[in-house]
Amino acid sequence: MNSIKDNSLARNIAMVVIILMAVGVVFVFSAGVSVEQEFDLSRFYEFPHLRQMMFFPLAGLIMYIASCFNYRKFSMDSGLFKSPTTYILALSAILLAIVLVPRFGTEINYARRWLRIPIGAITISFQPSELAKWSVIFFLAAICDRIGSDIKLYWKRFVPICGVVAVVAGLIITEDLGTAAFILFLSFLMLIIAGVKFWHVLTPLPFCFAAAAAVLIHSPNRMRRIAAFLNPEKWADSTGYQANQSLIAIGSGGLFGKGLGRGICKYGHLPEDTTDFIFSIIAEELGFFGAAAIIVLFIIFALLGIMVIVRCKSRFGQFLAAGIVLSIVGQAALNIGVATAMLPTKGVPLPFVSAGGTSLLLTAAAVGVLINIASQSPKTQIEDEQ
Amino acid sequence: MKHLKIIIILFALLLAALLTLMGRCFYLQFFKSSHYVQICARQQQGRIIHQPQRGVILDCRARVLAASSRIQTIFAEPRTIKDPIEVSNKLADIVDLPAHKICKLITESRNPGFVKIKTNAEVEQCRAARKIYGLGVQSGWKRYYPMANLASHVVGFTGLDGDGLDGIELQYDKNLKGRTGKNVFLADAARRPISDSPFGSNNENYQLRDGVGIILTLDATVQQFARAELLKQYQDFGAESAIAIVASAKTGAILALVSLPDFEPNKVGLAQMDTLRNRAISDEFEPGSLLKPISAAIAIEANAVSKDEKIFCENGNYRGKGFGRIGEYGDHKFGDLGVREILINSSNIGMAKIGQKLGKNKLYNGLELFGFGKKTMLGLPGEVDGKLRPLKKWDGYSITRVPFGQEISVTAIQLVKAFCILANDGKSVRPFLIEAIVDNNGQIIMQKKSPSDVGFVVKPEVANWLVREAMAGVVNEGTGKKAQLKKWQVFGKTGTAQLAKSDGTGYSENEYVASFVAGAPAENPQLIVLVSIFKPDVSLGKGYTGGTVAAPVAGKILEKTLNYLEVESSL
Repeated sequence: MNSIKDNSLARNIAMVVIILMAVGVVFVFSAGVSVEQEFDLSRFYEFPHLRQMMFFPLAGLIMYIASCFNYRKFSMDSGLFKSPTTYILALSAILLAIVLVPRFGTEINYARRWLRIPIGAITISFQPSELAKWSVIFFLAAICDRIGSDIKLYWKRFVPICGVVAVVAGLIITEDLGTAAFILFLSFLMLIIAGVKFWHVLTPLPFCFAAAAAVLIHSPNRMRRIAAFLNPEKWADSTGYQANQSLIAIGSGGLFGKGLGRGICKYGHLPEDTTDFIFSIIAEELGFFGAAAIIVLFIIFALLGIMVIVRCKSRFGQFLAAGIVLSIVGQAALNIGVATAMLPTKGVPLPFVSAGGTSLLLTAAAVGVLINIASQSPKTQIEDEQ
Repeated sequence: MKHLKIIIILFALLLAALLTLMGRCFYLQFFKSSHYVQICARQQQGRIIHQPQRGVILDCRARVLAASSRIQTIFAEPRTIKDPIEVSNKLADIVDLPAHKICKLITESRNPGFVKIKTNAEVEQCRAARKIYGLGVQSGWKRYYPMANLASHVVGFTGLDGDGLDGIELQYDKNLKGRTGKNVFLADAARRPISDSPFGSNNENYQLRDGVGIILTLDATVQQFARAELLKQYQDFGAESAIAIVASAKTGAILALVSLPDFEPNKVGLAQMDTLRNRAISDEFEPGSLLKPISAAIAIEANAVSKDEKIFCENGNYRGKGFGRIGEYGDHKFGDLGVREILINSSNIGMAKIGQKLGKNKLYNGLELFGFGKKTMLGLPGEVDGKLRPLKKWDGYSITRVPFGQEISVTAIQLVKAFCILANDGKSVRPFLIEAIVDNNGQIIMQKKSPSDVGFVVKPEVANWLVREAMAGVVNEGTGKKAQLKKWQVFGKTGTAQLAKSDGTGYSENEYVASFVAGAPAENPQLIVLVSIFKPDVSLGKGYTGGTVAAPVAGKILEKTLNYLEVESSL
């Protein structure tokens, strides 16, 4: 097995990801200020922008550890119940169920998405839906590799797999429609990649839409968000406020930005500035060139991902790498789409950049797996010549 | 490898999406940028306006004539108050007002955003009131005039918005006002300022500068003497209006300026329009005999007559072609009189003959040099020129009437200036009111300079002779006896002018201006006092002449002021 050091592809992936995480630390710190803010280092964990500084090296460490762990262990070559993937998926489902129990789950912004685990003086918040997303991707990659072309069997293979995904998504959908929809969408893409017949994939779609519609009808808040998206000016003061403020932040940045740390929108004008709308703050402070640089970094990440997939010789590796890269870059596109008001407001973080420990650490672990896949693929001719 | 193809297609779609987003950013940040920058400016800028403290107006001994002090006003915003009774009860405990009155103010306010509850609230009251939802505290300035009516016409007054509307308040409004401080800053969503720098360096910011203080030449004590004496006489004689001016003879500094009726500047809204006018500078009238010493001085200066020359006064009936008939006041019949006797007896015929000897050119030029026909530039708004008719309009009547003060209109301040010139050895004098302007640290930023128009209007011998011989004679032997003082030699001249009828058909039979101009001590004049009382009520039977009505007032003002200024006794 090759190590990261002597594989330029793995090295480049790590570099792009670390640059993105570093940008994230800087901007979470920048966006975290407020007028009456005073740093109290003894309680630093309560300040998200200070917490993020701690997560950065931790994420780097986790990425390195994950990259040392042979990704084939996640496959189901030795049977469904001997693979860690199955157990991770089961654990996610259990945690998701626990979150829904009022005693354990913590409500933030009217949604029950968090598990709070007190450790001494500090409380670690954990978001099981993040874990669920990755476990579904790993599960689908493993199971599709295991069953091979049997995936074309509708009742024996396709429907049960859909059932597993549906259970996970169903546990998330009431509290976090966005993540649930994203998981379903990713699953759909992965099944297509695995070679499922196209009309097979179409059959669960009516159920998905029915579930989404049911959730929407039960939540007037979500209905309003859709309405606000369709008519932003009218809702600028209420539901469309965030999207409108995000546009103001991005637009007022101009080509060159207001300068690092000199943004104004972060002072309460733009809510969720450290998480869902971190991109708007970057665009405000660094201008179009800063915003474009972030997008270019994700494009480079996607291109590196393609190279990993093309070079990888194992089907499982290809599936898994595709799932990881699609998930990360797709989520980035979704987040930026929301920030630029091209999509309705959905609470999706920008991978590596947004504040939030669970997302950052788990994404870093997934990238570690991707690096492992990259480092196990044979070197190209160009690299041999070097 | 079918799945690889699918993967590559999906990635291509994803990259296309990212490039689209980049294009969207470019659209927002390049084409729409100015639009959003404007929204930003509206949404994210806060501004604070600091009102400057208006400068003080002080008298020459630093007694306060006008000052501004900070007042806090507790106000309510009725639309935000859900339970007016509860708010009123809470507020009633803080300010000593009955709750039902507060409640009424809140519920019956026409303006849903603002109703004044208590002006001039104390600091503790404001602090407590701020905590009640729906109430607020507004800080402002209130102009006070501690001396009330005393110097109302000189000091003037300000309007509701704090702008000077009359007097020194208007004339020096710019200096007194200072500069409004304006602080434009970037604000967070709760409109708290984000930081002074690096955002604060903005050319829209102005630093607050309080108004400067103005020190007048006016002396509140002298003003009080003058006003009290004048007011008494004004009321005793049922006069329509009255003026008294006290000036420093050698410099022209105005020590007192009273115009009756006056007004209370703290309640200027209640004052009648008629009382707001400063008659000493805004009203012109025919000076009558007051002008005689001036005309005589011009004639002697021009060598048209000599001091000892005898002039035949036609036994009280002087008529001739081109100037009609001139009689004497009180139907006196004078024979040969010297210039001194003409002034002491106030002979009209004598003055008419002096005028004829002098000629209209020299008389006109002389009067112009003494300052008639143009503003004295005292430094108060509303001053008028008076009327010195242009030479080409003079006829035979003019040259025989102007020397004793008809066919010419003057203001009281012009007369004061003219007599100051006589008292100042014939040297030019310009009346003034501003002693100095001081900034907020007490540093003088402008001090009265000695007048630039120095020059002799008449020779010192002529001026001194008129003051010491002729005008002292008026007080000692003639019409001004009631202005005599024990300690000082007073000089002066009476004037009793009939008022022209408003329809322009000659002079009224029972409407007079009773005037007296006086100065003391004659050997070295320190003060000039002018007293003019308009339309004393003839029907009271107390008299109406300058010697009877005005001279005693001038005498008392002189006496008190000379004592106050500790001028050495000269007799």
